Amino acid sequence: MAGPDAGNQHQFTGFQKYFNSYTLTGRKNCVIATYSTLAAIILYFKLRPKKVSSVTEK
Amino acid sequence: MTLTTNLNLFDQFLVPKLLGMSLLIPAMLLTTVLIYNPQDRWLSNPLTTLQSWLIAKATKQIMTPVNKPGHKWSLMLISLLTMLILNNLLGLLPYTFTPTTQLSMNMALALPLWLATVLIGLRNNPTSSLAHLLPEGTPTPLIPILILIETISLLIRPIALAVRLTANLTAGHLLMHLISTAALSLMTTSTLLAGLTLIILTLLMLLEIAVAMIQAYVFTLLLSLYLQENV
Repeated sequence: MAGPDAGNQHQFTGFQKYFNSYTLTGRKNCVIATYSTLAAIILYFKLRPKKVSSVTEK
Repeated sequence: MTLTTNLNLFDQFLVPKLLGMSLLIPAMLLTTVLIYNPQDRWLSNPLTTLQSWLIAKATKQIMTPVNKPGHKWSLMLISLLTMLILNNLLGLLPYTFTPTTQLSMNMALALPLWLATVLIGLRNNPTSSLAHLLPEGTPTPLIPILILIETISLLIRPIALAVRLTANLTAGHLLMHLISTAALSLMTTSTLLAGLTLIILTLLMLLEIAVAMIQAYVFTLLLSLYLQENV
């Protein structure tokens, strides 16, 4: 009930070994992944080329 | 009869000035004249002994849950507690300026201390500090949302610390001002009602003394809790 999980009770394999909400490393990796995804989304919207509207003469 | 007329209720919180110079810093620091210095004797005078005993009790209470590397913060936290208690209690005297009603002062205390705990955590235990942003056992679909919520709650901590102290003290002073004004006005019309209002004012004063000490303790305790998470 108390203290961080040492990872002994949960035997994770594959992807869940590195990204889970039980072990200290798993939680850390989830946090880093979330922040990286957020940063990537913000950077994408900031750096994408803006559409230049062409002005047509009548 | 009042010697000064207030334009509005918040004029009591204006920082006093002398010849154009703000007296905020002297108001904060001059409370230290009330603190006795330990003497070179084996047994000091009774008041110094009482003061030392109280400070030792408070130190034990606040620093016991913190692990050994965090004990470096004892002097910082206990001197913060002492300063806040003295400032809050002295502000309850009539016509005395209370520095802790100024949000600027409370933010100046809360923000650097909170930031120090966060940076210490990121430097010494980066894994543990980052892992704190995700509660253990969170269901997988909720992980990203909960991380964002925990980040927001982390960033809001210094604001909450400062505003809690400011709001509690400001509200208390305002209430005392209002009730005392009401009691004074009722003196001429109804003495019985004025008496009842004075009883309420006395009870409020006792409450404000408790709130002054509790808020100082809560401020320091929360900082020690943030330290426990990160050290």
